[in-house]
Amino acid sequence: MRRTNRALNRTLLIVLGLLLAAGGALVAAAGFLPTEADAWAATASTLLGQASALLSSAPLPGPVRSWWAVAWVGGLLLAAALCVAWIASQGGGRTRRLAQEDDGGRGTTVVDVGLVSAAVKNATADNRLVVATAVSAWELPRTTGLQLRLQARQGASPGDLAGTAEDLVTGIDAWLGDQIPVLVRITSGARTATARRGRVQ
Amino acid sequence: MNNQRLIRRMVRRETHSSRAAASVLAATVLLALCLWLALEAVLMMAGVPALLASPGDTGRWLAGLPAATIPGWLAAAGVGIALLGVVLIVAGMAPGRRPRRALASDRCAVVVDDDVIAAAVSRTVQLSSGFAPGQVTTTVAGRSARVQVRPTSGLALDAGALTAAASSELARYGLATRITPAVRVASSGAVGQ
Repeated sequence: MRRTNRALNRTLLIVLGLLLAAGGALVAAAGFLPTEADAWAATASTLLGQASALLSSAPLPGPVRSWWAVAWVGGLLLAAALCVAWIASQGGGRTRRLAQEDDGGRGTTVVDVGLVSAAVKNATADNRLVVATAVSAWELPRTTGLQLRLQARQGASPGDLAGTAEDLVTGIDAWLGDQIPVLVRITSGARTATARRGRVQ
Repeated sequence: MNNQRLIRRMVRRETHSSRAAASVLAATVLLALCLWLALEAVLMMAGVPALLASPGDTGRWLAGLPAATIPGWLAAAGVGIALLGVVLIVAGMAPGRRPRRALASDRCAVVVDDDVIAAAVSRTVQLSSGFAPGQVTTTVAGRSARVQVRPTSGLALDAGALTAAASSELARYGLATRITPAVRVASSGAVGQ
């Protein structure tokens, strides 16, 4: 439940893909068809001529020579900044603060994720289905979401583990006095492979 | 946002790829290209020799590309670039399902890795017929669970009972899309189990 804007990721990837596909098709056409290669050379020399005409249309004194060159660099730096923003938009939204309540100006009560994490560890210490737990919290549009990760013992039934998780969540609900959104992940991991198999009860 | 909708959204986000890795890669390449072009332009303005090629040289190189390159190589390069574009388009459009699925639950979103389900099916089948742990392996993919059994030498085996055991275990989870088990009994047996 991170804050990644998935629709934006997919849209930008598709746009980039379309541009690359079109450019590639153009290059391939110039390789396959001699007429296309001639058209390429003609168009390119026209474009180069237009570019130099543009550069001399807004002259600047000194070595910079043209406002258009400055605009070109500015545009490129803007595009670079947008790329950085795209990279920075991945992930995020993780928080340490699970719940918060103001008490009429007398103070604020904050529940930290560590508290729930310790409680869950304690509650599953004797559970033969679970080898490890991890608890984290994410900011959702109006509230905070809790992620509860249970690492299953080799061969443990997901049905039983889901039951364990429901019990844990019921306990957390009673504790917080409020129902927050919960995502339960039942995974296998390094501990699953190395821990002993469960004995048949 | 009401509870059921939020649960569906959490499950959807957890079982599908965010395309973050592809996005970061594409953005990094684009960023490097933009910074290089800007740097070359600034170097030209400052009258310093270019790093790789000045903007004017780059433009003339692009314009003279078809004349200066063997057509076959140019075509191959074009096809390569277009294929890269198709890969990006597919990355943007494909669902990007991850090997995990949701279990039925009213209170919270429960998402289970496929290999946890596979291990549980293996164990159920193994216990139902008294096999040793290594004799049953299961792989879960899409809507099927392939259960491979290496029988104990000299003992009769009821494949129907194994399938029933696997089915009843899978039926307990209340999966949105059902997984059908397919039991395959190997022709060679394990001795001394």
